[in-house]
Amino acid sequence: MRNRVVITGMGVCTGIGGSIAAFWEGLTAGRSGICLVSVFDASALPIRIAGEVKDLNLSKLKCAFPAAAGERDRKIWLGLEAAGQAVRDAGLEEEMLSDALLVVGVSLETFFLGDVSALARTGSATRTLQGILQAPQAPWLQTPLDRLTQILGDHYRQAGGRYTNCSACAAGTQAIGEGFRMLRDGMVKVAVVGASDSVLNPLAMGGFSLLQILSKENHTPERACRPFDATRQGTVLGEGAAFLVMETLEGALQRGARIYSEVLGYGSSLDAYRVTDPEPDGKGAALSMAKAITDAGLRPEQIDCVNAHGTGTPKNDIAENRAIKQALGRRAFEIPITANKSMTGHLIAASGAVEATASVLTLFENTVPPTINLAHRDPDCDLDYVSEGSRPFKGQTVLSNSFGFGGQNATLIFGRYE
Amino acid sequence: MKAISPTRFGGGVFDCPVCAEVNNFDPQPYLNEAKMVRLMNRDAQMAVVAARLALENAGIKARSAYRPDEIALFGATGLAGLPLGEVAPLITASTGSNGLFDLDLFGRLGLKAVRPILSFKILSNMPFCFVSINEGIQGPNAIYAPWEGNGAQAVEAGIRALSTGDAKCSLVGGCDVKTHELAFASLQQLGLFSSWCSTGTGIVPGEGAAFLVLEMERDARARGARMYGAVSSFSFRTSCPGKAMSQTREDVLQGLNAQGAVSAVVSSSSEVHSSEIKESSLLKSARISAGITLRPKPYVGDLFAAAAPLQLALGALLTEAGGAQVLVNCFGHGSTQAAFLLDKI
Repeated sequence: MRNRVVITGMGVCTGIGGSIAAFWEGLTAGRSGICLVSVFDASALPIRIAGEVKDLNLSKLKCAFPAAAGERDRKIWLGLEAAGQAVRDAGLEEEMLSDALLVVGVSLETFFLGDVSALARTGSATRTLQGILQAPQAPWLQTPLDRLTQILGDHYRQAGGRYTNCSACAAGTQAIGEGFRMLRDGMVKVAVVGASDSVLNPLAMGGFSLLQILSKENHTPERACRPFDATRQGTVLGEGAAFLVMETLEGALQRGARIYSEVLGYGSSLDAYRVTDPEPDGKGAALSMAKAITDAGLRPEQIDCVNAHGTGTPKNDIAENRAIKQALGRRAFEIPITANKSMTGHLIAASGAVEATASVLTLFENTVPPTINLAHRDPDCDLDYVSEGSRPFKGQTVLSNSFGFGGQNATLIFGRYE
Repeated sequence: MKAISPTRFGGGVFDCPVCAEVNNFDPQPYLNEAKMVRLMNRDAQMAVVAARLALENAGIKARSAYRPDEIALFGATGLAGLPLGEVAPLITASTGSNGLFDLDLFGRLGLKAVRPILSFKILSNMPFCFVSINEGIQGPNAIYAPWEGNGAQAVEAGIRALSTGDAKCSLVGGCDVKTHELAFASLQQLGLFSSWCSTGTGIVPGEGAAFLVLEMERDARARGARMYGAVSSFSFRTSCPGKAMSQTREDVLQGLNAQGAVSAVVSSSSEVHSSEIKESSLLKSARISAGITLRPKPYVGDLFAAAAPLQLALGALLTEAGGAQVLVNCFGHGSTQAAFLLDKI
């Protein structure tokens, strides 16, 4: 027997808003959350802009999650904030949380270069590490990838299965997709799923800047990310988190929960092409979409909106445009497509979770948010990318894409709950 | 034969003085494109080699036995295996005369001191992306991190993909490299070496990768595949505050419905240090008796994210060798604890 799966709680934390209400208001107003980085002095870096979360209340979070008090990694805090919001929003009781499934998407451990600066003096990794290990209360050299999962799970005394997904930019979408499948197949009744990421640290921002995929437009941060625009120069990094509470429809109805939307389908695929580039024809991405459509029991003509991966890099956007046309056929030209990264920046592991939240809100609030900064049509990006501002929406379904570095693709389909 | 030897680094800094290394490792013969190796960390190199060996052993090549999109890839990876030597030039160029890390120097000089491909080496998903590229695998996928139980989750995800019809074949595995200084420092900070101080024994970090090819029995039979054994059941539990780890592991074993005698147990324990939860006691509590017990960790070290697939591979060999039923335990660090039961076909 297959359960229907619905979303009953949401939490989000991004540069355009630290709550669902603020996020949605910013998104539909077309407000950019991209700015000069202030969490560290990035003035000497080639790229100095990012989608930064400004209003994170750390002291409040430290009270709420005392086990995290010593954490330096921002993705931990962002994740705790968003997950806490989602759990509160869903009104889950403690007993339900103890049996819940927890799936958390992250990308990489944060490594603090300043911790090992002694390497320059000693020339010895051993002596450098010795100094750190002997220091009282020395912070962790690497935040373990499952640290957020562990803190959240222990805080809620959750024992219904814990997964830490690290599928790069597809991690958030995969986390939600895996939770959806387990609910649908009757393995669990409630799932807290989402992702968190922050690459706003010197090594990550510096490292990504070396890959030549980032926009260098430091002078105009709010205009720097221009998915599907003919003048786009690259993506802009960001930080953020989003979590969803998902339940079986039966369980949600039994406890009288508010239902935002239904999860209809999930698919994933691999490009098997190159780690440095997307497959140029978009075949791998199209495969992911086709699998999700089949999984949902839909036909391509039943997809009413696409929340694109839309990074703003020259290669990715063309590949995605091709992929959407392959997967949806003529329907691709008839439906609105939106790219949230134009406002949030690329949140890496968290991007899929944040864009899934935007997709759910698109259905719940009957509005497609715009793709900002799209002023010059690219003939190779020839679909309806909603550039004029928010658009009213009465459709039944939204498809959300995430395509990760290395060629990991994942797609979710959400449906209106009526 | 034991692969454990004194570390070539550390000089007494780390509480654990030994590790288990793979010597004379050369991934080149297994790569479709030789230049790929410069983009790969050692864990990725090991993953690519182990995946190729598993597929060859199964007689499967994408685009022949199954379509590329019919083959799923689920894997587990550990803490990032970034040897400090890789970033030493960056650190040196970014450190001021006062001995402190200087963001200005980092931006102006440090970034120029490292190769742009550094990012591809530290992204956690890369080992499995290289596997997909090297083998042409395009099916359902996910990557989990970072401990033994998470490696077991990758195996379980592969089984689920087969049972739901998402895939016709699942390549599942893990890779991990803990034989360098940064990994040792991180493990020590996490308290995993504590028993070395108190008892002089403990976890021995290792390196390696292990992959399994899973198929539905009917599909394997249809293509005349050699079958090592069948996964007859598996059990997962999550430890959380207020519940002893030993109880969580006991619950795992109870969840298998394996009471009685099994032919063999592949243990995830080394049973050498007193602070470790003894699997023999857990089996007794769960009323499981074993003919023989195989313990790989004293020989190859603890492979963390790769430990569960390795132990399952050993379990499969024991099953093929005549074991009617083999219990494979995946009890390690982290909150997820698991076990599998393999049956002879």
